[in-house]
Amino acid sequence: MSETGVEVFFDPESVAIVGASVRPNSLGRAILENMLKRFRGKIYPVNPKYKDEMGLKWYPSITAIGEPVDLAVIAVRAEIVPRVLEDAGKAGVKGAVVVSGGFAESDEKGRALQEELMKVASKYGIRIVGPNCIGVYNALSGLDTFFLPEDRMKRPHRGPIAIISQSGAFLASVMDWAAQEGIGIAKAINFGNKVDIDEVDLLRYFRRDDHIRVIIAYLEGIKPGKGRLFVEEASKTTRVKPIVLLKSGKTERGAAAAASHTAALAGSYEVFSAAMRQAKVIEAEETIDLFDMAKALSWLNYPRGRRIGVITNAGGPGVIMVDNLIRYGLEVPRFSDDLQAKLKSVFERRVATGNPVDLTGDADDEDFEKAIDIIVKSGEVDLLVIIALMQPPRLTLNLAEIIAEKAWKNRDIPFIVVTIGYKWAQEFSARLENRGIPVYDFPERAARAAYALAFCSECTRGCGSVDTC
Amino acid sequence: MTRVKMREDKAYDLLAKYGVPVPEHCLAQTLDELEECSERVPYPHVLKIVSPDVIHKSDVGGVVVGVENLEEDKKAFQGILENVEKAVPGARIDGILVQHMVPKGVEVIVGGLRDKIFDVVVMFGLGGIFVEVLKDVSFRVAPMTPRDAFEMLGEIRGSKLLEGVRGIPPRDKAALAVLIYNVYRLLEENIHIVEVDLNPVMSYEQGAAVADARIIVEQTD
Repeated sequence: MSETGVEVFFDPESVAIVGASVRPNSLGRAILENMLKRFRGKIYPVNPKYKDEMGLKWYPSITAIGEPVDLAVIAVRAEIVPRVLEDAGKAGVKGAVVVSGGFAESDEKGRALQEELMKVASKYGIRIVGPNCIGVYNALSGLDTFFLPEDRMKRPHRGPIAIISQSGAFLASVMDWAAQEGIGIAKAINFGNKVDIDEVDLLRYFRRDDHIRVIIAYLEGIKPGKGRLFVEEASKTTRVKPIVLLKSGKTERGAAAAASHTAALAGSYEVFSAAMRQAKVIEAEETIDLFDMAKALSWLNYPRGRRIGVITNAGGPGVIMVDNLIRYGLEVPRFSDDLQAKLKSVFERRVATGNPVDLTGDADDEDFEKAIDIIVKSGEVDLLVIIALMQPPRLTLNLAEIIAEKAWKNRDIPFIVVTIGYKWAQEFSARLENRGIPVYDFPERAARAAYALAFCSECTRGCGSVDTC
Repeated sequence: MTRVKMREDKAYDLLAKYGVPVPEHCLAQTLDELEECSERVPYPHVLKIVSPDVIHKSDVGGVVVGVENLEEDKKAFQGILENVEKAVPGARIDGILVQHMVPKGVEVIVGGLRDKIFDVVVMFGLGGIFVEVLKDVSFRVAPMTPRDAFEMLGEIRGSKLLEGVRGIPPRDKAALAVLIYNVYRLLEENIHIVEVDLNPVMSYEQGAAVADARIIVEQTD
């Protein structure tokens, strides 16, 4: 596997933390503590003020370390960053995460400093993440350059998702949220001003990373002239794994003179969106969609087609479900007479069998079990949505085990579950999710997850490895 | 850098090189040249003002359609020159374009531009009110394939009009897809071209024809 230049940022063997500090509530302290907690490689704190604080050996500069250093995490004032980078270059450092702000995002002086930083980096061939970023998180190696203390930002458990974020605040907050939601994340990165490593490098890297099944991206924009490369790289990536992307700044309009129809109509977002469609990137409408979709995409197999079967014990939510499935271009086919007759034959009372199959509020666990068995065997659906509301008294929490077992036995037909409500719903949902079955608390969210699954079945079908794509 | 409109006859010639179906045409600066042109271009004719100072030709009375013979050609020629002089006094005039008036078809628009982020962007939509009011268009960016061009035809909301509806027979979609792809090639290979607007393009049961074209190029000052 050839190097993409990004490897050193996620899997360095040794890391120097320049600007590490013992001062409580400082960035340098938070980074050092987070790294000490989990990182499995060597850590060298660099700060001329300290010698042996916290039981560590401190170094006055990177060059004083005297051992090979793969990665430098730099959290010092912007003015001295170029000098630190010069040291890093002399010490043979391969990559630097420049956490410090005060560069092109601030003022003229910052812009000049950024130019200087780039010059030093290219002189020594150092790859840069940042500046003005929170940097890199890798649950697998324990690397964590985020300056957010763990009691403020909980780290999610490891899982098959990677996140690329142009915003540090966005990344930190959604990771904290994902931790609470039990969504596993293997790797995450925020590249701030992206003077070097950017979304294109990261797509190339994550595409080849076998730990990653789904890539989540939050982008504010692509740099001028970089669009073509992004489309090429994203197209290659979506052939092997899905990218779910949220774009912000949609309402900003291009400054194109409106001399022609084409120029007047090609607002920057319209073009961006077309480019994403072309590259088979799934565009999320809302932040929550990123995770709703990523959860389904990383837990389930992709369906063979877009025919959705719906089993419900609630009429209204069943109808809302169907409306939303149709809205996203999915099919909710009316079941064949044969299948409907089979369903009718197993229920003593009257149930709707057309699709949705409405078992009504009288349904018990066994009714769901029978309906699932018959529909899964019919060959008439590619994906099954089960709406099981816990408010009527006959369903038990054991239904979670029943559904999970059926789902695992029929992996070719992915199951998505919807349950709405408070205590019972939460318990039911937790039991299912612990068994790897995605649950959504509203039909609309489940519909978007189903859409993402069906979309991926079409773009990544018949292509399992990077080499063949 | 300044953006200037490529002279209409040159724009047609360039488009023709890329296999875009442009109408037969001829630029006349004098009445003698008009006579020559009238022999070369089959009737009916459309006569159009060619001037870097006129952006919307119809708005200034710079277009006459349905011209059937030399006498009408001459009348249209004089009329256009007078109209333009009145509407845009002192406008620089390169001549009058005599072009074959292509038969009516389903009107579509094919465009392209150079985007600062994605470079080449191409656009397809239905013409007339569909593009004016409903903005019913689809886009692709570089690098695109002929398959993308086909997909664009299906992406617009009014795509049924191309499939045949209410007595309008189905259109030649392959001809449109090839046309879109050729506009893409034109932009890919000519970096000084920043905008292409083919509006309208007539889509037929067999083939398609460009009825008007505008190409904007960027020039160093």
